[in-house]
This record gives sequence, C-alpha cells and structure tokens, in this order.
Amino acid sequence: MVHITINGKVIKATEGEMLLSVIRRHGIEIPALCHHEAIEPTGNCRLCMVEITREEWDGWKKHVTSCLYPVEEGLIVSTHTPDVIEIRKTILDLQLANCPDSEVIQKMAEEYGIYKTSYEVVPEGDNCIMCYACTRICEVLGRSAISAVGRGHRKEIAPPFGAEPPDCIGCLACAQICPTDVIPWTDRDNTRTIWDRKFELISCKECGRQTIAREFADYLIEKRNIPREYFEICDNCKRSELARKMGEIVARAQEVAI
Amino acid sequence: MKFRFEVNPSLCTGCRTCELACAFAHAQNQKPGRSRIYPLAYEPDKYVPVACLQCDDAACVKSCMFDALKRNEVTGAVELDRERCIKCMACVAACPFGCALLDDVQDEIVKCDLCGGNPACATFCPTKALAYKKI
Repeated sequence: MVHITINGKVIKATEGEMLLSVIRRHGIEIPALCHHEAIEPTGNCRLCMVEITREEWDGWKKHVTSCLYPVEEGLIVSTHTPDVIEIRKTILDLQLANCPDSEVIQKMAEEYGIYKTSYEVVPEGDNCIMCYACTRICEVLGRSAISAVGRGHRKEIAPPFGAEPPDCIGCLACAQICPTDVIPWTDRDNTRTIWDRKFELISCKECGRQTIAREFADYLIEKRNIPREYFEICDNCKRSELARKMGEIVARAQEVAI
Repeated sequence: MKFRFEVNPSLCTGCRTCELACAFAHAQNQKPGRSRIYPLAYEPDKYVPVACLQCDDAACVKSCMFDALKRNEVTGAVELDRERCIKCMACVAACPFGCALLDDVQDEIVKCDLCGGNPACATFCPTKALAYKKI
C-alpha cells in the first residue's frame, strides 16, 4: 500500500497500479482516448497528462501520461493545473485538425473550449488517431490479425498486405474498442463483414436469431474448451429451455408429494 | 462460498416484482437497467424465476478472453468488471442458460451479481420464492 496526494488529498493506492486508474477511481475526470482496462497502457493519445512532483524535488515538477505512470510513495499529483490544461488543449486542437468529423473528439474539445481547430485540417483524413487500441485488443485475444502499416503520414491500421486478414475471427473487438469508431463493419443476412472479410453468423436453431460469428465461436471452443452445443441456441431460447426444465422438476416434485 | 441464492419455483406466482426490483437496483444515470431475472411461464399461468445460476465451472468466465468476469469469493457471484468488458458478446453466446444479457439501453453486458451480497429480488419477493441464505 502506498500513499499519494491527488489535488491536495491523500489517497491510498495499491503498489503497481497506474495513476490514471487511481485518479478515476476517486471520481476525478481526466480525458483519455486510448485507455482501456483490458489492454496494456501505451500512452499514445497523451490526453491523460498530469503534473507530478515530490516534496524533495524542491518545486521541480514534470508532466507524465498518467496511464503509464505507476504510483509511488509520496507522489504529489495535480490533474488540472493551467499547464496541464494547456497541454490537453494543444493535443485536442491537433486531434481536431487530424479528425474533424469525429464526434468524440469534437465533444472533448468543446469541454476544453475549442470549437474549431487553429491548424490546417488534414486533407482526406479519416478519424483514426493511431492509438493502437484495436491492434492491442487483437493481441490480447491472441490473434494479431491487424497492425500498423506504412510510414509517416501514410501510416494506417490495416490487415497484412491490404488483403482479407487470415487471422481475423470476426469478433468485433477492434471495432468495439475504437475510441473514434472508425472501423467499419456490417451485419446483414447471416453475414458479418469486417476488414473486407465475410463471416458466417451463427443462427439460433430454434428462433433463427443471429448471435456471434462462427469462427469466433470455434476459436472459443478450441481455446477455452467450451462445449459446442452452448453456441447453437440464442440466449432467449436458452432461458425458455431452462424455465421448461425447471417446470418439469416442479411438476415431478408435486407428483411425488401427492 | 458462504451464501446460496435459492429459488423455490413452486412458490412463484409470476408477479414480476423481482424483475422490477432488479431493474431499479441496477439503475444508472436515472434510468432503470435491464433486469437480470425473469419469471418465465413454462405452462400457462405457471412461472419459474430464471436468473444466473452462478455455475462453478462457468462457461461465461471461460469464454471471456479479457478476464472481465471473475468470481466474488464472498458472495459466490460471478461479477462483470465493466471497465474490462468490450461487449464482444462471447459470454452471452456461451452461457448455457442464456443468463448473460445485453442491455441495449445502457449499452453494456449485464448479469446477476447478487447485488453484492443483498439481492433486491429476494428482498422484495412477496411469496419468498427467492431467498439468499447462509450455508
């Protein structure tokens, strides 16, 4: 257990925890785009910047990304100093030039009083902020189907060789985690399309409702040893089935009692 | 495990009080959540309350690739860590009883967490078809 000071308040934290988690747990709002508990922090978006100092530093202070900074005994953290706000404003101003159509970034920038970027808008840009959340979550899943390709301003997230990704299983983890919702996907007529690859969706044997992609289910069956029949029926039908079975038990018990 | 959630289906009248209690116990941002418990009719006018069975070897825990589902050793409930969940729907598809659900209003996966040790459904059940007992 270590003690840190956040905005003048002494707070207990567990060793090894990152600053951002501790700050958020105590109800202090800090913007962040690339942070998610399920993936390793990388500090790509730089928005979670805070100011840190220590008593023995004699007034010297530095700015760090809180998602990457482990808590230390005696750390003094300030989350909303004028300098920190200025840094966040600059980042948001630049992000707004990079992806002017992103509602998430527009909303964040508005909170910091920026309504229009002061930089030149990137021509033909998409809303990708290159935070690597999608590639990191794919890695956690054990597939690594997508990665960053190209260099400089041509760098983008794509499957290998721009073709259909052979390792993709159609789980939508990348699209779900993307902070700016840039990864397009569609579910139509039993088919899921993502990264230009088509996946068959499992249809419920009883009602025909679509659940998850068959390849995702196959992956879970193989990797986590889950019986295949669990995936054949949708959750609504499985609940009805459970009610029917429980009903049978009740009826049997009543028969025995009589 | 020190506690057990008990269901006595023969006492259930299908009044749906549990559903209401659950939705309000899991309200967020002034909106009721999706109920984690449902009284379902197996015959006309005969109901059983259907909720998560907190399986020992739970398929939902096994199916989660991001370790978002973990067992609370005190209450015995399998709890969902919302911060780690990315809504891949694996647990919803894998649960053999269909008791991991998608709440489309709050846009999150929900499952019974036994209200952290004091289930609202059991508290409000008028016929005591639901009970949370020490074992």
